Amino acid sequence: MKLEIIRETLKNKSLKKEFALITNLINGESEIFFPGHNLSEMFSKYSGEIEKIFNLNKNGIIENSEIFVQTYKNPIKVIIVGAVDISIYLIDFAKNLNFEIIIVDPRGYFASKERFPDTKIVNKWPNEAFDEIETNSKTAMVTLTHDPKIDDPSLQYALKNKFFYIGALGSKKTHEKRCSRLVEAGFKQAELEKINGPIGIKLGGKSPSEIALSIISQLVSEKYKNKI
Amino acid sequence: MSNFPEKKIFEEADNWIKNNKKVSLATVVQTWGSSPLGIGSRMIVSEDGNFLGSVSGGCVEAKVVEECISLMKNKKICKKIDFNVSNENAWEIGLACGGDISIYIEEIK
Repeated sequence: MKLEIIRETLKNKSLKKEFALITNLINGESEIFFPGHNLSEMFSKYSGEIEKIFNLNKNGIIENSEIFVQTYKNPIKVIIVGAVDISIYLIDFAKNLNFEIIIVDPRGYFASKERFPDTKIVNKWPNEAFDEIETNSKTAMVTLTHDPKIDDPSLQYALKNKFFYIGALGSKKTHEKRCSRLVEAGFKQAELEKINGPIGIKLGGKSPSEIALSIISQLVSEKYKNKI
Repeated sequence: MSNFPEKKIFEEADNWIKNNKKVSLATVVQTWGSSPLGIGSRMIVSEDGNFLGSVSGGCVEAKVVEECISLMKNKKICKKIDFNVSNENAWEIGLACGGDISIYIEEIK
């Protein structure tokens, strides 16, 4: 492989492009594939197969060939509402898990650069914040403030926009109250099943770092269940 | 803050080459049965034996480092190495998880 291809891969990743790195295992020649673009002669007859592997978000050798395809898709976006203690641990875990994290909290004293260095923070009320965050079915919502003024509009947004994961911090009782408010706001009971509340898998821990671990575990598990 | 698994590896490969080192890239290209790391896992190896990343969670790295160094010394372009559990060397190499993996090594030019 040429160093140039490695540099290009790094550049394309930093520009958040989605592509595949293709290698001819016989001669070590590599090329970058972008969906819809033409490939050089060496690889062009495999374009269909390459596209198939790329669309499945997989890596592998094309059958009956010596062509290796490695897919690079953008990471899952996780919106954390609430710049609380648990969020600090969540970010720590997420760093090694290929998640893109965005913190939303209108309370400036919580969502400070000092508490969250190197993290994207949107210091606005949820509805204003979501105007500037691009979301899709590969986005997850985690609400942690316990404050209905902040958590509820975030959950409503995630429900309406079909996020693959929605989780809300709070006890069973808190969650029941939350659900009745959402029903009053016009959501159907069945829709509310989509919210993981209380959030996280059952680990038994109560400390902020343990809660963060249970949330991140549920996120990883849902990612695979949804084949993202 | 968005990472991808090979970010550090690719950046470091670039740095090592800038420092006039020869560097090889090892990639898991095929697996059969249970394998410790998935297809696409990567590792870099410098000519002086320094390495970063992983292709098997520790089972075959030593052998891969050795193979990469010899590839660079012999000025070869690339090579595919199969680690097979039924192979006599399996225990010696240490692929104790019962899977077979194919690792592709190539010099970064």
